[in-house]
Amino acid sequence: MITVNGDKFPWHDGMTVAQLLAEKNYKFRLISVWVNDCAVEKRLFDRELIPDGANVQVIHNISGG
Amino acid sequence: MAIPEMKLLAEWSYEPAKIHRGYSRETLYIGLGNKDGNYKFEKRPVSDDMIEKFTGGRGFGLKLLWDAVTGDTKWNDPENEIVIAGGPFCGITQYPGAGKCYSVFLSPATKQTYNSNAGGYFAPFVKFAGFDALELQGKADRPVVIFIDGDNYKVQIFESTLEDINAYTVSEELHEYFAKDEDDKRTISVISSGIGARTTYWAGMNFSFYDQKRKVVRLKQAGRGGGGTVLYDKGVIAMAVKRTHFTGLENDPADIKTIQRCGVSVHKRIHDLDDTQSKMRSVGTAHLTEIMDAYYILPVNNYKFGKHKDIDNISSQTYTSLFTQGMADGCWYGCSLACAKAVDHFYLQTGPWKGKPVTVDGPEYETAAGLGSNVGIFDARWSIEANFYADHYGLDTISLGTGMAFICECYELGLINKEHTHGLDLNFGRKADIMELIHRIAHGSDDFAIACGHGIEEAREYFAEHYGADMQTMKKIGMCCQGLEASEYRCQESIAQWGGYFLTLKGPQHDEAWLIFMDMVNKQLPTYEDKAEALFFFPNFRLWFSLQGLCKLPWNDIEPADNGIKYKGVEAARVPEHLQNYLDIYEAITGKPLTRDGLIEQSEKVYNFERIFNLRMGRGTAKYHEAPDRALGPVWEDEWNERPDYFDEKLKEFGENIDGLSVKEKIALLQKHRRGQWEELKMAVYKRRGWNKNGIPTLATVKRLGIDYPDVVELLNKHLRPEDEF
Amino acid sequence: MKFMQVRTELCVQCGECMKACSKAYFKEESKELSRVRVANVAGYANFSICSQCGACIGVCPTGALERDANGIVQVRKNKCTSCLMCVGFCPSACMFFNADKQTEPFKCIGCGICARACPTGALELFNVPDKA
Repeated sequence: MITVNGDKFPWHDGMTVAQLLAEKNYKFRLISVWVNDCAVEKRLFDRELIPDGANVQVIHNISGG
Repeated sequence: MAIPEMKLLAEWSYEPAKIHRGYSRETLYIGLGNKDGNYKFEKRPVSDDMIEKFTGGRGFGLKLLWDAVTGDTKWNDPENEIVIAGGPFCGITQYPGAGKCYSVFLSPATKQTYNSNAGGYFAPFVKFAGFDALELQGKADRPVVIFIDGDNYKVQIFESTLEDINAYTVSEELHEYFAKDEDDKRTISVISSGIGARTTYWAGMNFSFYDQKRKVVRLKQAGRGGGGTVLYDKGVIAMAVKRTHFTGLENDPADIKTIQRCGVSVHKRIHDLDDTQSKMRSVGTAHLTEIMDAYYILPVNNYKFGKHKDIDNISSQTYTSLFTQGMADGCWYGCSLACAKAVDHFYLQTGPWKGKPVTVDGPEYETAAGLGSNVGIFDARWSIEANFYADHYGLDTISLGTGMAFICECYELGLINKEHTHGLDLNFGRKADIMELIHRIAHGSDDFAIACGHGIEEAREYFAEHYGADMQTMKKIGMCCQGLEASEYRCQESIAQWGGYFLTLKGPQHDEAWLIFMDMVNKQLPTYEDKAEALFFFPNFRLWFSLQGLCKLPWNDIEPADNGIKYKGVEAARVPEHLQNYLDIYEAITGKPLTRDGLIEQSEKVYNFERIFNLRMGRGTAKYHEAPDRALGPVWEDEWNERPDYFDEKLKEFGENIDGLSVKEKIALLQKHRRGQWEELKMAVYKRRGWNKNGIPTLATVKRLGIDYPDVVELLNKHLRPEDEF
Repeated sequence: MKFMQVRTELCVQCGECMKACSKAYFKEESKELSRVRVANVAGYANFSICSQCGACIGVCPTGALERDANGIVQVRKNKCTSCLMCVGFCPSACMFFNADKQTEPFKCIGCGICARACPTGALELFNVPDKA
């Protein structure tokens, strides 16, 4: 189990940032991801593994037009 | 086809003031008389105090309107004005989005002040003609066209010979009429409304610019609040301005190098990153449809549902294929974000121009959702046609979309029937009948169409009185407040956005704040104090653009590649590097340094002044800040049943034992809790804004901001009660 | 049509091209005012000079950028509003600006002054007749 933006979310072995975003249906493009308080570069989203128990923040960075 | 020559009714020549550091320090007053042909022209000085307290743009508009009306003035009294003003940034070409202006007036829809912004070339040209603002007052005795000749420094009033007053006709004819030749058409900008201005309160103003590549007139809308209705009531069919020669230095800035440095950095950023960020250049704001759908924010069937299986029909991919690519789609020179998308060679299927090929401006997201998913229609070509006619008729696509969504739900609920609608079947998704309703509303074809065009608040009174429709039901589902229809985002699951919509100066638009992701998805605003802080900062920050003549999109629809990881938390949402650009450019134009706090204070002065202005107009208190049930949660069982587990969970979070409860009972319980949250939010926000419990700015607040003018203090003293103090 | 051929391997980074260019158009010798730029990147010359590709023509909102009879992209100052979108959108960063001298952008117009100043033949201007 991991925490995503404060809510519990099921974890699985080999889970990458990109997979998490897909599972959460987070389709927005101006997104930044922090795993255990470390920022993950966008180009690493499909490689960066999320450890079990991680605290993940997925920040949708818009305040609207 | 050229229109017959227009008879000159009045003419006035003036010596133009020179613009220095963003200001000409003069405004233009045009009086139309009181249906007596008594025209009046004046140049009026702009004082230091006016610049210091009101900055420009919307601030100037509110100040000039305040001086022109009393608390008893109605929107259709001759005293009402339309004030159009850019601001110190307006007209610069080196930074994207600097061609905007605000139109300020007493609104037929909201019965208080409204201000609506538009791009196009009008405001920069008026400024280059020598004026920081244009004030229009009175009523003409016949339909007129006003022409500001910024080349020869003359203002002329002509008797209109335009038979068709719809926007594309008027704009095309007047670009032709006032231009010497094809190449000269780009030197003209026209404001028009359309036939919808005769009977509806939804008519906006269309601001034109000439698209040199397409060789067509393009329109940008100051759509909201009924400015077009006011314009028509004044007897003005159109206003045109001409300015042939201008450079990138018309504002006479203090430091052009800084402006160019900031501008080039953003142009380059847009070039490099737009395709992976907001896709403004290829699809504009319509890129948002499938994103909103993914987060249950897309309004479907009068905001009942947040997503739909047919979303692909109105997705960004669909719109990209319909928009002509590779065009310089900026609505003022230097806007590299270029979101003003257009569909070319579109053959209309209905209405007076059926069969004719046209260029359609848009749709933007609001229109794609309002005249689309919100009325249950998932057909991009239908939305494009509806968009064209709404613009042509002068109708605000947002109010029209939200208003018709309400009407469709009334029809589905049986509150109104086919007899009332004069034969129209207005179930959600009925394309032909809903399109026909647009034509009828615009033309004021029958009593039902006229009632609809007065907006949800008045329409439901009419439906109750004449059709026996249940008012309580209509109040629950009508997405409006302060006489204005909500824009096209579902805010149910974001408490902060309840405030972003319903604790606003002018009604539920999202001009002030869009906090749904920050609050609902990112969970960055956990407490009421956090939400109140966001509902203090963002409305003031965003209002600042309206003082300067700026578009907000280049602020946060493009951002530095590392913005989201360089800055943490809410700070990233402020896009600090772009915010710094604005501070730097402000100083580079005006020569006056500005800090981040100073920026917010500039806005706060106008924010509070506008709030007090609405108090003066008999509104502006807590009871006008109301949110309908639909804004806070599900109203009917089918809405709950779209996400039953999600809503059950929400009830449990309140500590409720929901075993054995019917869906109807659960809905009532959730609404009760959320109503409580709404009241808590309201008080937290009022407190943060320096207002009392009745939503009125306190004397300490107006003193701090320096807007404690004698008439302001006198008004506040009449309304501030000890029992409302925090 | 005219085109500038660059042979980077011949460049000795003497800077004569930039001096000649800026002197010709701005009356002073300054790298910042040259329409051709040679930078030292890890010891090697890195040229920035307009390839006359025309991307800027599509970006310009006023029609101030146009291709002349020689195939050269020209900035028409009388139509330019100094917005500098062309600077930000040039795919090879070869549109330049310097507000101390003029608010409008400037670029290589294939005059050949830099090539004539080049002592090694790293820059050479060709004039090729158009295909019939």
